[in-house]
Amino acid sequence: MKDIFETPAQMPLRSPGTVMRLSRMGSMFPTRLSFLRSLMRRLAAERTQVRRDIWEICEQGFGHAVFSLTLGGHDYALVAVSTDLPPELRTDRVIATAWDGAFVLFDGIPDAADIARIKANAPLQEAGRFGPRDLILSRANKSVRLFAHVTDALRAGQQPDVQMIRDVGYLMRTTAVYGNGKFGIADRAAYHERPGLEGPFAAEMLTVWLIRHFTHALVEHVGRGTLAPALKRHLGIGNSTGLGMAPFLVNHPVLLNNWMLARETALARVRAVEAPTPEHRARLCALGARAAKHLAQWSVPDPAHLGRIETLRADWEIAVRALDPEKLAVPRPLDRVMSDVEQMSEDVQELMAALVMEPFGDLIDGLAECMADPYGAFAPPLRDTDALRAQTERAFEWALTPDYAEAAACGQFWYVSEAKMEPRLGMRFTEEGAERETPLDIARRVQAAYRDLPAQAVPVSAFLARHPEHALAVERVTLSACYPYAEIRDNLIAQTCLPIDMLRCKLSFFGAAKFDPKSDRWTRITLCQGAPLADELGEGADDWWLPVFAA
Amino acid sequence: MSRSANEVMVLATKAARGAGAPPAQASQFGAVAARHLIEGRETAELQAALDALPRGPILSLPLIFTSIAEQATRGSAMRPVPKGPAALVLSYIETLPWQTGTTHDGMLHIDLYKPAARCSVMRIDLPDEVYEAWRVLAARLLVPESDASRTSGAGAGLSDND
Repeated sequence: MKDIFETPAQMPLRSPGTVMRLSRMGSMFPTRLSFLRSLMRRLAAERTQVRRDIWEICEQGFGHAVFSLTLGGHDYALVAVSTDLPPELRTDRVIATAWDGAFVLFDGIPDAADIARIKANAPLQEAGRFGPRDLILSRANKSVRLFAHVTDALRAGQQPDVQMIRDVGYLMRTTAVYGNGKFGIADRAAYHERPGLEGPFAAEMLTVWLIRHFTHALVEHVGRGTLAPALKRHLGIGNSTGLGMAPFLVNHPVLLNNWMLARETALARVRAVEAPTPEHRARLCALGARAAKHLAQWSVPDPAHLGRIETLRADWEIAVRALDPEKLAVPRPLDRVMSDVEQMSEDVQELMAALVMEPFGDLIDGLAECMADPYGAFAPPLRDTDALRAQTERAFEWALTPDYAEAAACGQFWYVSEAKMEPRLGMRFTEEGAERETPLDIARRVQAAYRDLPAQAVPVSAFLARHPEHALAVERVTLSACYPYAEIRDNLIAQTCLPIDMLRCKLSFFGAAKFDPKSDRWTRITLCQGAPLADELGEGADDWWLPVFAA
Repeated sequence: MSRSANEVMVLATKAARGAGAPPAQASQFGAVAARHLIEGRETAELQAALDALPRGPILSLPLIFTSIAEQATRGSAMRPVPKGPAALVLSYIETLPWQTGTTHDGMLHIDLYKPAARCSVMRIDLPDEVYEAWRVLAARLLVPESDASRTSGAGAGLSDND
C-alpha cells in the first residue's frame, strides 16, 4: 500500500558553502514560504473577518482605534494610537522618543481599562511597561508626503496620483516590531503553539498586516473619501530596519538553519519535478514576466543599488527566456533552469529560485511548518578535541584562513550604544568601545579555538577547563554537525562585511520586497504590498509574490 | 515587578557578561536564571554566582555537565548529581538541552537522544534590587555615546521626514 505521507522526490540541496555566503544572502527575494505569505494563507483558509470595534479618531487623524479578528479559535486585537508628531521628532532610529503611531497586538478583546493602559504606555514604547496579554509592541512613522497627498486628493473627491503611490508604496513605515517578552510583553512561548501563530514571527506579521489595515482606514477617515481598491492593495506597510536585526541571525543559529533548510528543500523538490503540467509551465512563464515588471517598478534613490537593480533587469531579460513553456517541456526542466542560471549573478539565481517555487504550493507549503524552533539547540557533544578539530575543518574551513590580526579582517566591531541601547557598528582602529564588543565574531573565535586545540586528544570539557573563552566557538562547531545552515559563512568583523546583506536575508523571510538601502547598514522595505485586503481573504488571496502595480 | 521570562533571561545573560563571563557561559546562565526564578528559587544563589565571576559555578557547572555527557554510552549517562549550590545545580540540570532525570539516591540521568521538554512559561517577579544590580552589570557592555557613534554608527540619518 502506498504511504500517503510519502516525502516528495528532491534533488540534492545546494551546499551551505554556496548558500550561506553573505553576498548570496543579500540577494534573496521573498518566497511562498515567507512568513507573511504563510500567514495570509492561514487567514484566507479561515476566511478571517477583521472587525472595527472602536474608532475614536479626530478629524485630523489623532486618537485611538481597535481592530479585532479571530484566528485559530483565539481573538486578537490591534490597539492603535495615533498622535500628532512634530516633524523635528520624526526619526526612524532606535534613539527616537516619539512616533506618529504606536500599536499593541492584544491577546483577546481589550476592555476599557486595557485600552487606557495601552494608550498611556504604547506611545512611550521602550520607556513604557507592558503585560502578558500584550503580544506585540510596534510603532510607525508616516510618509508625510504621501499621507498628505492622499488625504488632499480624497478631500478633493479624486484618487491620488498613481505614480506617487507606486513610488512610495506605503502610508506608514514601522520602525520596530517587538515580540517575545520585550518590555514585559508576552513571551513567544506563551502562544507559539496556537493555531495560526506557530510559525516564526507570525504574531509580528499579523500585527504588521493589521497596522497596514489601520493606515488605510486612517487616510480614508482624514481624507473623507474612499481609496480605489487597487491603490489600497498596493499600499503596503513600510519598514525601516537597521543593525538590530543583524545579530538575530547570528544569535539564533537553529532558527537560521531551519529557515534556510526549508527554503533549500523546497527548491530541491521543485528541481526534481519531472514534467510540469501545461498549467504550471504557463504559470512559470507568467511569473517570469511579472518579475520583470516588478523589477521595472523597483526604483531606489541610492545610485549604487539602483545600478545593481538595472543590471538585474538586463540579466533577467536573458534568464527569463528559459521559462518559455516550450523550453520547459523537457525532463526536470526546473533543475535545468537553475543549473543554467548558475553562470549568472547571485541576484538572478536567487530571483529564479524564488520564482520556480511559486507554482508548487502543494509540494512545498508544508515545509513552512518546519521553520520554527520547538526544541532549541539540540546536538550531542563531540567526543574529544580530535572530533572537534575534524568538525571544524569540515564546517568552518572558510573561517580558518583569514589573518584576523590584519586590519582588513577585523576592522569593524559590533556594539550596543548606551543611547537607548541602539545596536551600532564601529571602526575598530579609530573608534572607542571595541573592548565592549558584541560577540558576533564567530569566525575569529573558531579559528582561535582551533589553534589552541592540543596535539593529543583530550575530552572537550578538559579543553574548555583550560580555555573557557573558547566555549562559544566549541558550541558553534558542535551545532554545525546537526544544523548545516546555521552559520553565516563570512567574517562579520571584516572591513568588507556589509550588514545590509544580513538584513535582506531576514527581511526576505518576512516577505519583504522593494529593498531601498539607505546605507550599508540600514534599509527601508515594503511589507504586505499587494497582499489581500481584509475584505479580500478568499480564493486567490495567495497570489501576490512580487506584486506589480496594476492601477 | 512582573517580567517576561525572556526579559529576565536576556538581562541575566548581559549581567553575566558584564561581570566577566565568556559569552556562551553567560547565555547559559541567562537561561538558568530565568528557570531558577520561574521555579520560585532564591535569587541569592544567582547573585552569588555572579559575584564569583570570573570563577565559580557559571564557569564550572557547564563543564561538569559537558563532562557527564561526554561519558555517555549509547546516548545515555548516569552520574552523581554534581556538587554545588543545590538549587542552582538543579536549575542548570533543568535547562540542559537533553532529557534529564534525577533519582532519590542522588543520581543524574541524561538521555542525549531526546530533547528536553521546554519549560512552561510563567511571569517572573524579579525584586527591584536584583533587577537594578543586574542592570548595572549589564550596562558595562554599553559603549558610551559620542558624536561619531551617533551620526554614523547605525548607518542612518537623524531625521526621517519624507
